[in-house]
Amino acid sequence: MIIQGIEIKKINDTLWEIPKHGGMLVPGRIYTSQNLLESTLQNDEAIKQVINVAHLPGIQKYSLAMPDIHWGYGFPIGGVAATDLDEGVISPGGVGYDINCGVRLARTSLEYKTIQKRIPILVENLFKNIPTGVGASGAIRKLSTKEIRKILTHGSQWAVEQGFGSDEDIIFTEEHGKLKGANPDAVSERAIERGTDQAGTLGSGNHFLEVDVVEEIFDREKAEVFGLFEGQVVILIHTGSRGLGYQVCDDYLKVLVEAGNKYGFKLPDKQLACAPLKSGEGQNYLGAMQAAANFAWNNRQIIMHLAKKTLMQTLSISESELDFHLVHDVCHNIAKIEEHQINGERKKVCVHRKGATRAFPPGSEQIPEKYFSTGQPVLIPGDMGRYSYVLAGTEKAMEETFGSSCHGAGRVKSRHKALKMGKGRDLIAELKKEGIEIQAKGFRTIAEEMSYAYKDVSDVVDVMAKSGISKKVAKLRPVGVIKG
Amino acid sequence: MKKFRIIEHTADIAVEVSAPSLEKLFEYSVYAWLQSVAEINGADNIEDKSIELSSASREVLLVDFLSELNYLLNVKRWLFINVKSLAIEENSKYILKAIVAGTNLENADVKLKTEIKAVTFHQMNIEETGKEFKTKIIFDI
Repeated sequence: MIIQGIEIKKINDTLWEIPKHGGMLVPGRIYTSQNLLESTLQNDEAIKQVINVAHLPGIQKYSLAMPDIHWGYGFPIGGVAATDLDEGVISPGGVGYDINCGVRLARTSLEYKTIQKRIPILVENLFKNIPTGVGASGAIRKLSTKEIRKILTHGSQWAVEQGFGSDEDIIFTEEHGKLKGANPDAVSERAIERGTDQAGTLGSGNHFLEVDVVEEIFDREKAEVFGLFEGQVVILIHTGSRGLGYQVCDDYLKVLVEAGNKYGFKLPDKQLACAPLKSGEGQNYLGAMQAAANFAWNNRQIIMHLAKKTLMQTLSISESELDFHLVHDVCHNIAKIEEHQINGERKKVCVHRKGATRAFPPGSEQIPEKYFSTGQPVLIPGDMGRYSYVLAGTEKAMEETFGSSCHGAGRVKSRHKALKMGKGRDLIAELKKEGIEIQAKGFRTIAEEMSYAYKDVSDVVDVMAKSGISKKVAKLRPVGVIKG
Repeated sequence: MKKFRIIEHTADIAVEVSAPSLEKLFEYSVYAWLQSVAEINGADNIEDKSIELSSASREVLLVDFLSELNYLLNVKRWLFINVKSLAIEENSKYILKAIVAGTNLENADVKLKTEIKAVTFHQMNIEETGKEFKTKIIFDI
């Protein structure tokens, strides 16, 4: 098949390969279906970006893309690449501006049918208590520089120490909510300034907090271990490191654009700016990026705690009645040093996941003990009008995708087009008719984030399930949404 | 001549800017950014702010300039309204000296449209074609 003049070879029904050509150091591989390939990638730059990533020095095996692939900057969104620690590079373009943008899912003992009538007031109170929107601030008191630096080092463990959650939350957060190599000294004053009043805020764009109901269970055994049952009320949170993370990316892109010249890299896109992992520039970015990742985990921890309190207050129930627990917190914009099997050898590599979720299998040492038999929960938010999925990691993901899966639906319509499509319509009423209460800062966000702007996440998840990269566990349906 | 146009981009905002000089390209780029983030209906207490930046390349300088105004809006809550003067010198580096007018957000009747996370380098390449300077800019939102 030829797309945008690029030859793409079908390996099987869920995997397509771009043969190595030109300056590519490895082939490109896209997990997708014929339908997704034809319907979403014909007019998109994303395939070219898979090729561009294959030019990165030290890249291992393949430049990969998940089925939610779409046009990003530098890497495509949905891109995965592992680089050699000695010969390879680290690239902020492989992480994104929103460092450790991610998702967390919390379960409750509540059944939807018992609180259905309280959803509108619950959504109203969540919207009041959790700051959303452009420049959202003030979820908790304004923090000092010293406190921000503590968050950069300790991640969500800081929030738990301050009373925003429990030790159990730490167990169920990827990396225990703290990357140990974080270096606050590598984070600029400006980045810290951007973080001072943004801890515990959702922000704008596609970030959200949803009240969901577990609509369908695909794998009862795994769902039971995850603590999920049909009709259950759960909370799904999607946000990241806010302005602090954007600034870290911004700061280091400039440093690495210049470093690229110094190290003589010839890359097809400035946004793929990178530095050798071993170099001072590379190590500084890695330390700053890890610090920003810690800020994001802390952010989601605070938001989850605010949501829990809001549920208890609104529904006038006790902590034991609510029985609120974190299922898992996963990041989908990150670069991590991990050990993988490469050409028959165990080897440490730097895995860039830009819009891709870690999906480690049963028995993996890096996942909570509770999930040893199931594989880690992989959280895939869809769009606010349809559904989201809970998947589980598999051994096949370790073999083929550096333990990675998809991260969401992926946009198909630009915000501009989506806004035009929403004009003249009462979108809040349309969602209400579908059983979804929404509170947002404005019409624009709602219009930009409607279902018509996204791929059907079921199509994306089906590719991952058919390819064996992840297993389907449960489907969630939104009943309440707050957005920026 | 149209100063900039919005290009379809699936996830973010992309604009194409063209101008008769490098200075005008920077100026029009700022207005493209402003149109993406805010709709201004009126403003009081307008003040001037001077901005001086230097960089090894024109592209990095443009990203720096737009990022500065984005930072002023998102962190300092200071809204850029218009460019009073703008000059770019080229020595061993490119140096931008600008005076811009704006006001604190509370003094403006403004609707903030979207939060731009960052001004990206993706597909940015300042080209000179005859008498015209052109570039694409993609804002990450």
